[in-house]
Amino acid sequence: MVKQASFYSLMSEIGGALLFLREVLRTLVTKPCSLHEVLLQIWRVTIQSFSTTGMAGFFVGAIMTVQFALQMREFDAMGYLGGLATSGTIREVGPLLIAFMLSGKVGAYTSAELGTMKVTEQIDAIRCLGADPIQEIILPRFIGIIVSSFFLLGLGLIMSILGGMLMGAFFAGVNPEEYIRHIPTIVTFPSIISGLVKCFVFAVVLATICTYRGYSTSGGAKGVGLSVVKTAVATMVGIVIADWMTSFLGDVVMKLVLGA
Amino acid sequence: MIGVLGSHLMSGGHHIKEFMGMLSHTLTSIFRPPIRIKETFQQLFFVANGSLVIVVFCVCFAAMVTILESSFHMKIVIQNDSMVPGFAAMLILRELGSVVTALLLTSRVGAGMSAEVGLMKITEQVDALKMLGIDPVQYLVVPRLFACIIGATILTIVADITCIYSAFVISEAYLGFTPALFLTAMRRFVDFQDLIFSMIKGAAFGSVIPLISCYYGFRCKPGAEGVGSATTNSVVASSVAIIVIDFILSYIFSHFY
Repeated sequence: MVKQASFYSLMSEIGGALLFLREVLRTLVTKPCSLHEVLLQIWRVTIQSFSTTGMAGFFVGAIMTVQFALQMREFDAMGYLGGLATSGTIREVGPLLIAFMLSGKVGAYTSAELGTMKVTEQIDAIRCLGADPIQEIILPRFIGIIVSSFFLLGLGLIMSILGGMLMGAFFAGVNPEEYIRHIPTIVTFPSIISGLVKCFVFAVVLATICTYRGYSTSGGAKGVGLSVVKTAVATMVGIVIADWMTSFLGDVVMKLVLGA
Repeated sequence: MIGVLGSHLMSGGHHIKEFMGMLSHTLTSIFRPPIRIKETFQQLFFVANGSLVIVVFCVCFAAMVTILESSFHMKIVIQNDSMVPGFAAMLILRELGSVVTALLLTSRVGAGMSAEVGLMKITEQVDALKMLGIDPVQYLVVPRLFACIIGATILTIVADITCIYSAFVISEAYLGFTPALFLTAMRRFVDFQDLIFSMIKGAAFGSVIPLISCYYGFRCKPGAEGVGSATTNSVVASSVAIIVIDFILSYIFSHFY
Protein backbone atom coordinates (compact mmCIF):
# COMPACT_ATOMS: atom_id res chain seq x y z
CA MET A 1 0.00 0.00 0.00
CA VAL A 2 2.78 2.41 0.91
CA LYS A 3 4.53 1.69 -2.37
CA GLN A 4 1.36 2.37 -4.31
CA ALA A 5 0.70 5.67 -2.54
CA SER A 6 4.24 6.92 -3.13
CA PHE A 7 3.98 5.88 -6.78
CA TYR A 8 0.77 7.89 -7.17
CA SER A 9 2.32 10.92 -5.50
CA LEU A 10 5.35 10.67 -7.80
CA MET A 11 3.10 10.54 -10.86
CA SER A 12 1.01 13.48 -9.68
CA GLU A 13 4.21 15.44 -9.02
CA ILE A 14 5.45 14.83 -12.58
CA GLY A 15 2.06 15.69 -14.01
CA GLY A 16 1.88 18.85 -11.90
CA ALA A 17 5.30 19.97 -13.15
CA LEU A 18 4.31 19.39 -16.78
CA LEU A 19 1.00 21.26 -16.37
CA PHE A 20 2.89 24.10 -14.70
CA LEU A 21 5.33 24.17 -17.65
CA ARG A 22 2.38 24.37 -20.06
CA GLU A 23 0.91 27.24 -18.06
CA VAL A 24 4.21 29.13 -18.10
CA LEU A 25 4.70 28.60 -21.84
CA ARG A 26 1.14 29.70 -22.57
CA THR A 27 1.70 32.85 -20.52
CA LEU A 28 4.92 33.42 -22.46
CA VAL A 29 3.00 33.38 -25.75
CA THR A 30 -0.18 35.23 -24.74
CA LYS A 31 1.01 37.90 -22.33
CA PRO A 32 4.79 38.23 -22.20
CA CYS A 33 6.41 39.99 -19.23
CA SER A 34 8.56 43.08 -19.49
CA LEU A 35 12.07 42.70 -20.89
CA HIS A 36 13.50 44.74 -18.01
CA GLU A 37 12.41 42.12 -15.45
CA VAL A 38 13.99 39.32 -17.47
CA LEU A 39 17.29 41.19 -17.79
CA LEU A 40 17.23 41.86 -14.04
CA GLN A 41 16.84 38.14 -13.31
CA ILE A 42 19.58 37.20 -15.79
CA TRP A 43 21.91 39.65 -14.09
CA ARG A 44 21.11 38.35 -10.59
CA VAL A 45 21.46 34.66 -11.41
CA THR A 46 24.68 35.17 -13.36
CA ILE A 47 26.34 37.29 -10.69
CA GLN A 48 25.40 34.84 -7.95
CA SER A 49 26.76 31.72 -9.61
CA PHE A 50 29.60 33.06 -11.76
CA SER A 51 32.46 32.06 -9.48
CA THR A 52 30.92 28.73 -8.40
CA THR A 53 30.38 27.62 -11.98
CA GLY A 54 33.83 28.71 -13.11
CA MET A 55 35.46 26.83 -10.27
CA ALA A 56 33.35 23.70 -10.80
CA GLY A 57 34.29 23.68 -14.50
CA PHE A 58 37.96 24.15 -13.68
CA PHE A 59 38.01 21.15 -11.33
CA VAL A 60 35.99 18.94 -13.69
CA GLY A 61 38.51 19.59 -16.46
CA ALA A 62 41.41 18.91 -14.10
CA ILE A 63 39.94 15.60 -12.88
CA MET A 64 39.17 14.41 -16.42
CA THR A 65 42.73 15.22 -17.51
CA VAL A 66 44.22 13.25 -14.65
CA GLN A 67 42.01 10.25 -15.44
CA PHE A 68 42.81 10.27 -19.16
CA ALA A 69 46.51 10.78 -18.39
CA LEU A 70 46.52 7.49 -16.43
CA GLN A 71 45.09 5.68 -19.45
CA MET A 72 47.26 7.34 -22.08
CA ARG A 73 50.44 6.67 -20.12
CA GLU A 74 49.74 2.95 -20.52
CA PHE A 75 49.73 3.34 -24.31
CA ASP A 76 52.45 6.02 -24.60
CA ALA A 77 50.15 8.40 -26.47
CA MET A 78 50.40 11.47 -24.26
CA GLY A 79 50.14 13.77 -27.29
CA TYR A 80 46.45 13.03 -27.61
CA LEU A 81 45.74 13.89 -23.97
CA GLY A 82 44.42 17.40 -24.69
CA GLY A 83 41.98 16.34 -27.37
CA LEU A 84 40.72 13.34 -25.42
CA ALA A 85 40.20 15.12 -22.12
CA THR A 86 38.47 18.08 -23.81
CA SER A 87 36.23 15.83 -25.88
CA GLY A 88 35.30 13.71 -22.88
CA THR A 89 34.49 16.78 -20.81
CA ILE A 90 32.44 18.62 -23.43
CA ARG A 91 30.40 15.67 -24.67
CA GLU A 92 28.99 14.32 -21.43
CA VAL A 93 30.71 14.71 -18.09
CA GLY A 94 31.19 18.48 -18.09
CA PRO A 95 27.58 19.58 -18.61
CA LEU A 96 26.36 16.92 -16.17
CA LEU A 97 28.63 17.79 -13.24
CA ILE A 98 28.43 21.57 -13.73
CA ALA A 99 24.64 21.32 -13.92
CA PHE A 100 24.70 19.40 -10.60
CA MET A 101 26.66 22.27 -9.02
CA LEU A 102 24.34 24.86 -10.56
CA SER A 103 21.24 23.03 -9.33
CA GLY A 104 22.58 23.18 -5.78
CA LYS A 105 23.09 26.92 -6.07
CA VAL A 106 20.46 28.41 -8.39
CA GLY A 107 17.76 25.81 -7.82
CA ALA A 108 17.93 25.97 -4.03
CA TYR A 109 17.99 29.76 -4.00
CA THR A 110 15.06 30.19 -6.39
CA SER A 111 12.82 27.64 -4.74
CA ALA A 112 13.58 29.10 -1.30
CA GLU A 113 12.78 32.60 -2.56
CA LEU A 114 9.54 31.63 -4.30
CA GLY A 115 8.54 29.39 -1.39
CA THR A 116 9.03 32.25 1.07
CA MET A 117 6.90 34.50 -1.15
CA LYS A 118 4.23 31.82 -1.25
CA VAL A 119 4.03 31.08 2.50
CA THR A 120 4.12 34.79 3.42
CA GLU A 121 1.19 35.26 1.02
CA GLN A 122 2.97 37.74 -1.24
CA ILE A 123 1.82 35.76 -4.27
CA ASP A 124 -1.80 36.00 -3.13
CA ALA A 125 -1.28 39.74 -2.68
CA ILE A 126 -0.19 40.05 -6.30
CA ARG A 127 -3.27 38.15 -7.40
CA CYS A 128 -5.40 40.48 -5.23
CA LEU A 129 -3.98 43.48 -7.06
CA GLY A 130 -5.36 42.05 -10.29
CA ALA A 131 -2.01 40.94 -11.72
CA ASP A 132 -1.07 37.43 -12.85
CA PRO A 133 1.63 36.00 -10.55
CA ILE A 134 2.88 33.66 -13.27
CA GLN A 135 3.38 36.59 -15.63
CA GLU A 136 4.87 38.92 -13.02
CA ILE A 137 7.04 36.59 -10.94
CA ILE A 138 7.47 33.15 -12.45
CA LEU A 139 8.01 34.01 -16.12
CA PRO A 140 10.96 36.43 -15.66
CA ARG A 141 12.69 33.92 -13.38
CA PHE A 142 11.99 31.03 -15.75
CA ILE A 143 13.48 32.80 -18.79
CA GLY A 144 16.27 34.34 -16.73
CA ILE A 145 17.38 30.99 -15.34
CA ILE A 146 17.30 29.34 -18.76
CA VAL A 147 19.36 32.05 -20.46
CA SER A 148 21.91 32.53 -17.72
CA SER A 149 22.31 28.80 -16.94
CA PHE A 150 23.00 28.17 -20.61
CA PHE A 151 25.77 30.74 -20.67
CA LEU A 152 27.09 29.71 -17.26
CA LEU A 153 27.38 26.09 -18.44
CA GLY A 154 29.24 27.32 -21.52
CA LEU A 155 31.57 29.30 -19.27
CA GLY A 156 32.13 26.18 -17.17
CA LEU A 157 33.10 24.19 -20.27
CA ILE A 158 35.61 26.86 -21.31
CA MET A 159 37.05 26.90 -17.79
CA SER A 160 37.32 23.11 -17.94
CA ILE A 161 39.69 23.39 -20.93
CA LEU A 162 41.81 25.81 -18.90
CA GLY A 163 41.82 23.51 -15.87
CA GLY A 164 42.71 20.52 -18.01
CA MET A 165 45.56 22.45 -19.63
CA LEU A 166 47.05 23.44 -16.28
CA MET A 167 46.69 19.92 -14.87
CA GLY A 168 48.19 18.49 -18.06
CA ALA A 169 51.20 20.73 -17.64
CA PHE A 170 51.73 19.96 -13.94
CA PHE A 171 50.61 16.35 -13.63
CA ALA A 172 51.28 14.78 -17.01
CA GLY A 173 54.08 16.97 -18.35
CA VAL A 174 52.23 17.89 -21.55
CA ASN A 175 53.02 21.50 -22.38
CA PRO A 176 50.04 23.79 -23.17
CA GLU A 177 50.83 24.18 -26.89
CA GLU A 178 50.82 20.44 -27.38
CA TYR A 179 47.68 20.14 -25.25
CA ILE A 180 45.78 22.62 -27.42
CA ARG A 181 47.16 21.37 -30.75
CA HIS A 182 45.20 18.11 -30.66
CA ILE A 183 41.89 19.59 -29.53
CA PRO A 184 40.60 20.40 -33.07
CA THR A 185 41.53 16.96 -34.41
CA ILE A 186 39.47 15.03 -31.86
CA VAL A 187 36.74 17.44 -30.78
CA THR A 188 34.38 17.38 -33.74
CA PHE A 189 31.54 19.74 -34.53
CA PRO A 190 28.81 17.23 -33.51
CA SER A 191 30.48 16.86 -30.09
CA ILE A 192 30.25 20.60 -29.47
CA ILE A 193 26.66 20.72 -30.68
CA SER A 194 25.68 17.81 -28.47
CA GLY A 195 27.34 19.48 -25.46
CA LEU A 196 25.49 22.73 -26.10
CA VAL A 197 22.15 20.95 -26.61
CA LYS A 198 22.70 19.19 -23.30
CA CYS A 199 23.43 22.52 -21.59
CA PHE A 200 20.17 23.94 -22.95
CA VAL A 201 18.08 20.93 -21.93
CA PHE A 202 19.57 20.90 -18.41
CA ALA A 203 18.83 24.63 -18.10
CA VAL A 204 15.16 24.06 -19.03
CA VAL A 205 14.86 21.13 -16.57
CA LEU A 206 16.43 23.17 -13.77
CA ALA A 207 14.23 26.21 -14.41
CA THR A 208 11.01 24.17 -14.59
CA ILE A 209 11.61 22.13 -11.45
CA CYS A 210 12.79 24.92 -9.19
CA THR A 211 10.04 27.38 -10.15
CA TYR A 212 7.39 24.65 -9.86
CA ARG A 213 8.56 23.46 -6.44
CA GLY A 214 8.85 27.02 -5.17
CA TYR A 215 5.42 28.00 -6.48
CA SER A 216 3.69 24.96 -4.97
CA THR A 217 5.26 25.30 -1.50
CA SER A 218 2.90 25.07 1.46
CA GLY A 219 3.12 24.75 5.22
CA GLY A 220 5.15 27.62 6.65
CA ALA A 221 8.89 27.82 7.28
CA LYS A 222 9.25 24.05 7.55
CA GLY A 223 7.57 23.72 4.15
CA VAL A 224 10.18 26.03 2.62
CA GLY A 225 13.01 23.83 3.93
CA LEU A 226 11.27 20.72 2.68
CA SER A 227 10.71 22.17 -0.75
CA VAL A 228 14.39 23.19 -1.03
CA VAL A 229 15.46 19.60 -0.32
CA LYS A 230 12.87 18.22 -2.72
CA THR A 231 14.07 20.63 -5.41
CA ALA A 232 17.65 19.43 -5.06
CA VAL A 233 16.71 15.76 -5.33
CA ALA A 234 14.18 16.25 -8.15
CA THR A 235 16.59 18.38 -10.18
CA MET A 236 19.37 15.82 -9.95
CA VAL A 237 17.13 12.94 -10.99
CA GLY A 238 15.60 15.12 -13.74
CA ILE A 239 19.03 16.08 -15.07
CA VAL A 240 20.19 12.45 -15.11
CA ILE A 241 17.06 11.37 -17.01
CA ALA A 242 17.37 14.32 -19.42
CA ASP A 243 21.00 13.39 -20.02
CA TRP A 244 20.05 9.85 -20.90
CA MET A 245 17.24 11.04 -23.21
CA THR A 246 19.45 13.51 -25.07
CA SER A 247 22.21 10.90 -25.50
CA PHE A 248 19.70 8.42 -26.84
CA LEU A 249 17.96 10.89 -29.17
CA GLY A 250 21.35 12.27 -30.28
CA ASP A 251 22.41 8.75 -31.22
CA VAL A 252 19.25 8.21 -33.25
CA VAL A 253 19.60 11.56 -35.04
CA MET A 254 23.28 10.92 -35.79
CA LYS A 255 22.45 7.53 -37.27
CA LEU A 256 19.73 9.04 -39.44
CA VAL A 257 22.04 11.83 -40.68
CA LEU A 258 25.04 9.59 -41.30
CA GLY A 259 22.99 6.76 -42.72
CA ALA A 260 21.14 8.95 -45.21
CA MET B 1 39.15 47.41 -4.40
CA ILE B 2 41.86 46.39 -1.96
CA GLY B 3 39.56 47.29 0.91
CA VAL B 4 36.83 44.99 -0.44
CA LEU B 5 39.34 42.18 -0.94
CA GLY B 6 40.68 42.72 2.56
CA SER B 7 37.24 42.59 4.13
CA HIS B 8 36.49 39.38 2.22
CA LEU B 9 39.73 37.85 3.51
CA MET B 10 38.92 38.99 7.04
CA SER B 11 35.46 37.42 6.94
CA GLY B 12 36.96 34.23 5.49
CA GLY B 13 39.42 34.06 8.36
CA HIS B 14 36.60 34.69 10.81
CA HIS B 15 34.61 31.81 9.28
CA ILE B 16 37.55 29.44 9.59
CA LYS B 17 38.18 30.47 13.20
CA GLU B 18 34.55 29.91 14.20
CA PHE B 19 34.39 26.62 12.30
CA MET B 20 37.51 25.38 14.07
CA GLY B 21 35.92 26.37 17.39
CA MET B 22 32.86 24.26 16.61
CA LEU B 23 35.03 21.38 15.40
CA SER B 24 37.04 21.28 18.63
CA HIS B 25 33.84 21.55 20.68
CA THR B 26 32.36 18.60 18.75
CA LEU B 27 35.48 16.47 19.11
CA THR B 28 35.69 17.03 22.86
CA SER B 29 31.99 16.35 23.42
CA ILE B 30 32.21 12.98 21.65
CA PHE B 31 33.80 11.57 24.78
CA ARG B 32 31.41 13.13 27.30
CA PRO B 33 29.09 10.58 28.97
CA PRO B 34 25.51 10.75 27.67
CA ILE B 35 25.95 8.80 24.46
CA ARG B 36 22.79 9.27 22.42
CA ILE B 37 22.37 5.93 20.70
CA LYS B 38 18.72 6.43 19.78
CA GLU B 39 19.28 9.77 18.01
CA THR B 40 22.28 8.32 16.21
CA PHE B 41 20.21 5.47 14.83
CA GLN B 42 17.38 7.81 13.83
CA GLN B 43 19.86 9.95 11.91
CA LEU B 44 21.47 6.87 10.40
CA PHE B 45 18.08 5.81 9.09
CA PHE B 46 17.56 9.26 7.56
CA VAL B 47 21.05 9.41 6.03
CA ALA B 48 21.53 5.89 4.72
CA ASN B 49 18.13 4.36 4.17
CA GLY B 50 16.56 7.52 2.80
CA SER B 51 19.32 8.13 0.26
CA LEU B 52 19.82 4.55 -0.89
CA VAL B 53 17.49 4.64 -3.92
CA ILE B 54 18.69 7.94 -5.37
CA VAL B 55 22.38 7.07 -4.81
CA VAL B 56 22.01 3.70 -6.54
CA PHE B 57 20.05 5.24 -9.43
CA CYS B 58 22.45 8.11 -10.15
CA VAL B 59 25.63 6.12 -9.63
CA CYS B 60 24.42 3.34 -11.92
CA PHE B 61 23.86 5.87 -14.66
CA ALA B 62 27.24 7.54 -14.08
CA ALA B 63 29.02 4.20 -14.46
CA MET B 64 27.28 3.47 -17.77
CA VAL B 65 28.21 6.90 -19.14
CA THR B 66 31.83 6.47 -18.03
CA ILE B 67 32.39 3.13 -19.69
CA LEU B 68 30.61 4.06 -22.94
CA GLU B 69 32.49 7.36 -23.22
CA SER B 70 35.93 5.94 -22.52
CA SER B 71 35.41 3.14 -25.00
CA PHE B 72 34.30 5.70 -27.62
CA HIS B 73 37.45 7.78 -27.12
CA MET B 74 39.82 4.84 -26.98
CA LYS B 75 38.46 3.63 -30.31
CA ILE B 76 39.10 7.06 -31.86
CA VAL B 77 42.73 7.25 -30.79
CA ILE B 78 44.20 3.75 -30.66
CA GLN B 79 41.50 1.63 -32.31
CA ASN B 80 41.60 -0.68 -29.30
CA ASP B 81 39.37 -0.68 -26.24
CA SER B 82 40.47 -3.94 -24.64
CA MET B 83 41.67 -2.23 -21.47
CA VAL B 84 38.54 -0.14 -20.97
CA PRO B 85 36.96 -2.34 -18.25
CA GLY B 86 40.12 -2.09 -16.19
CA PHE B 87 40.28 1.68 -16.48
CA ALA B 88 36.59 2.03 -15.78
CA ALA B 89 36.80 -0.14 -12.66
CA MET B 90 39.83 1.82 -11.47
CA LEU B 91 38.08 5.14 -12.06
CA ILE B 92 34.94 3.88 -10.29
CA LEU B 93 36.78 2.68 -7.19
CA ARG B 94 39.24 5.58 -6.94
CA GLU B 95 36.99 8.55 -7.71
CA LEU B 96 33.51 8.05 -9.06
CA GLY B 97 31.85 5.90 -6.40
CA SER B 98 32.84 7.96 -3.40
CA VAL B 99 32.66 11.45 -4.93
CA VAL B 100 29.28 11.07 -6.65
CA THR B 101 27.80 9.49 -3.51
CA ALA B 102 29.13 12.32 -1.38
CA LEU B 103 27.83 15.03 -3.73
CA LEU B 104 24.37 13.44 -3.74
CA LEU B 105 24.42 13.16 0.05
CA THR B 106 25.38 16.82 0.26
CA SER B 107 22.31 18.05 -1.51
CA ARG B 108 19.94 15.64 0.17
CA VAL B 109 21.27 15.17 3.71
CA GLY B 110 23.36 18.31 4.10
CA ALA B 111 20.59 20.63 2.93
CA GLY B 112 18.10 18.87 5.21
CA MET B 113 20.40 19.13 8.22
CA SER B 114 21.20 22.81 7.81
CA ALA B 115 17.52 23.65 7.24
CA GLU B 116 16.54 21.66 10.34
CA VAL B 117 19.22 23.10 12.63
CA GLY B 118 18.68 26.59 11.22
CA LEU B 119 14.96 26.35 11.93
CA MET B 120 15.70 25.18 15.49
CA LYS B 121 18.02 28.14 15.91
CA ILE B 122 15.58 30.81 14.72
CA THR B 123 12.62 29.35 16.62
CA GLU B 124 14.85 29.49 19.75
CA GLN B 125 14.79 25.74 20.33
CA VAL B 126 18.59 25.81 20.57
CA ASP B 127 18.34 28.37 23.37
CA ALA B 128 15.72 26.17 25.05
CA LEU B 129 18.17 23.25 24.97
CA LYS B 130 20.85 25.42 26.56
CA MET B 131 18.41 26.46 29.26
CA LEU B 132 17.70 22.82 30.07
CA GLY B 133 21.41 22.30 30.61
CA ILE B 134 21.87 20.28 27.40
CA ASP B 135 24.85 21.14 25.24
CA PRO B 136 23.34 21.80 21.77
CA VAL B 137 26.52 20.75 19.99
CA GLN B 138 26.55 17.43 21.81
CA TYR B 139 22.82 16.91 21.34
CA LEU B 140 22.60 17.91 17.67
CA VAL B 141 25.99 17.59 16.01
CA VAL B 142 27.55 14.45 17.52
CA PRO B 143 24.75 11.98 16.57
CA ARG B 144 24.62 13.45 13.06
CA LEU B 145 28.39 13.19 12.75
CA PHE B 146 28.48 9.51 13.70
CA ALA B 147 25.43 8.68 11.59
CA CYS B 148 26.84 10.42 8.55
CA ILE B 149 30.28 8.78 8.84
CA ILE B 150 28.77 5.29 9.12
CA GLY B 151 26.09 5.96 6.51
CA ALA B 152 28.45 7.47 3.93
CA THR B 153 30.92 4.56 4.32
CA ILE B 154 28.19 1.97 3.76
CA LEU B 155 26.66 3.92 0.88
CA THR B 156 30.07 4.24 -0.77
CA ILE B 157 30.55 0.47 -0.72
CA VAL B 158 27.05 -0.05 -2.11
CA ALA B 159 27.74 2.56 -4.80
CA ASP B 160 31.02 0.87 -5.77
CA ILE B 161 29.33 -2.50 -6.12
CA THR B 162 26.43 -1.07 -8.13
CA CYS B 163 28.79 0.90 -10.37
CA ILE B 164 30.97 -2.07 -11.22
CA TYR B 165 27.97 -4.29 -11.79
CA SER B 166 26.25 -1.82 -14.12
CA ALA B 167 29.50 -1.24 -16.03
CA PHE B 168 29.79 -5.02 -16.29
CA VAL B 169 26.27 -5.38 -17.71
CA ILE B 170 26.55 -2.47 -20.13
CA SER B 171 29.93 -3.61 -21.44
CA GLU B 172 28.52 -7.04 -22.16
CA ALA B 173 25.38 -5.69 -23.82
CA TYR B 174 26.83 -2.83 -25.90
CA LEU B 175 30.59 -3.20 -26.16
CA GLY B 176 30.79 -6.96 -26.64
CA PHE B 177 33.05 -7.90 -23.73
CA THR B 178 32.48 -11.35 -22.33
CA PRO B 179 32.28 -11.47 -18.50
CA ALA B 180 35.61 -13.29 -18.31
CA LEU B 181 37.31 -10.60 -20.40
CA PHE B 182 35.86 -7.88 -18.20
CA LEU B 183 36.98 -9.54 -14.98
CA THR B 184 40.48 -10.26 -16.29
CA ALA B 185 40.96 -6.66 -17.42
CA MET B 186 39.57 -5.48 -14.09
CA ARG B 187 41.89 -7.65 -12.00
CA ARG B 188 44.94 -6.24 -13.78
CA PHE B 189 44.25 -2.72 -12.56
CA VAL B 190 42.22 -3.02 -9.37
CA ASP B 191 43.27 -4.39 -6.03
CA PHE B 192 41.61 -4.92 -2.67
CA GLN B 193 43.33 -1.82 -1.30
CA ASP B 194 41.36 0.31 -3.77
CA LEU B 195 38.17 -0.69 -1.98
CA ILE B 196 39.71 0.22 1.39
CA PHE B 197 40.82 3.62 0.05
CA SER B 198 37.33 4.18 -1.33
CA MET B 199 35.86 3.47 2.11
CA ILE B 200 38.29 5.90 3.74
CA LYS B 201 37.28 8.57 1.23
CA GLY B 202 33.60 7.91 1.92
CA ALA B 203 34.12 8.26 5.66
CA ALA B 204 36.07 11.51 5.24
CA PHE B 205 33.38 13.04 3.00
CA GLY B 206 30.71 11.81 5.40
CA SER B 207 32.36 13.57 8.32
CA VAL B 208 32.58 16.88 6.43
CA ILE B 209 28.90 17.10 5.47
CA PRO B 210 27.25 17.29 8.95
CA LEU B 211 29.97 19.56 10.37
CA ILE B 212 29.57 22.19 7.63
CA SER B 213 25.76 21.88 7.51
CA CYS B 214 25.37 22.27 11.27
CA TYR B 215 27.86 25.16 11.30
CA TYR B 216 25.75 27.08 8.78
CA GLY B 217 22.59 26.02 10.61
CA PHE B 218 23.85 27.45 13.91
CA ARG B 219 24.74 30.74 12.24
CA CYS B 220 21.32 31.02 10.56
CA LYS B 221 19.89 34.53 10.47
CA PRO B 222 16.25 35.01 11.52
CA GLY B 223 13.47 34.74 8.98
CA ALA B 224 12.63 32.38 6.15
CA GLU B 225 15.25 34.05 3.96
CA GLY B 226 17.92 33.18 6.51
CA VAL B 227 17.07 29.47 6.38
CA GLY B 228 17.18 29.52 2.58
CA SER B 229 20.56 31.21 2.42
CA ALA B 230 21.98 28.95 5.18
CA THR B 231 20.90 25.91 3.16
CA THR B 232 22.37 27.21 -0.10
CA ASN B 233 25.64 28.26 1.50
CA SER B 234 26.06 24.93 3.26
CA VAL B 235 25.50 22.96 0.03
CA VAL B 236 28.04 25.05 -1.87
CA ALA B 237 30.62 24.97 0.94
CA SER B 238 30.29 21.20 1.40
CA SER B 239 30.63 20.54 -2.35
CA VAL B 240 33.79 22.64 -2.52
CA ALA B 241 35.17 20.99 0.61
CA ILE B 242 34.49 17.53 -0.82
CA ILE B 243 36.33 18.33 -4.06
CA VAL B 244 39.32 19.77 -2.18
CA ILE B 245 39.50 16.81 0.24
CA ASP B 246 39.24 14.44 -2.73
CA PHE B 247 42.29 16.10 -4.27
CA ILE B 248 44.27 15.82 -1.03
CA LEU B 249 43.31 12.18 -0.38
CA SER B 250 43.98 11.16 -4.00
CA TYR B 251 47.42 12.70 -3.73
CA ILE B 252 48.16 10.87 -0.46
CA PHE B 253 46.87 7.52 -1.76
CA SER B 254 48.87 7.83 -4.99
CA HIS B 255 51.99 7.05 -2.94
CA PHE B 256 50.62 3.61 -2.02
CA TYR B 257 49.91 2.27 -5.51
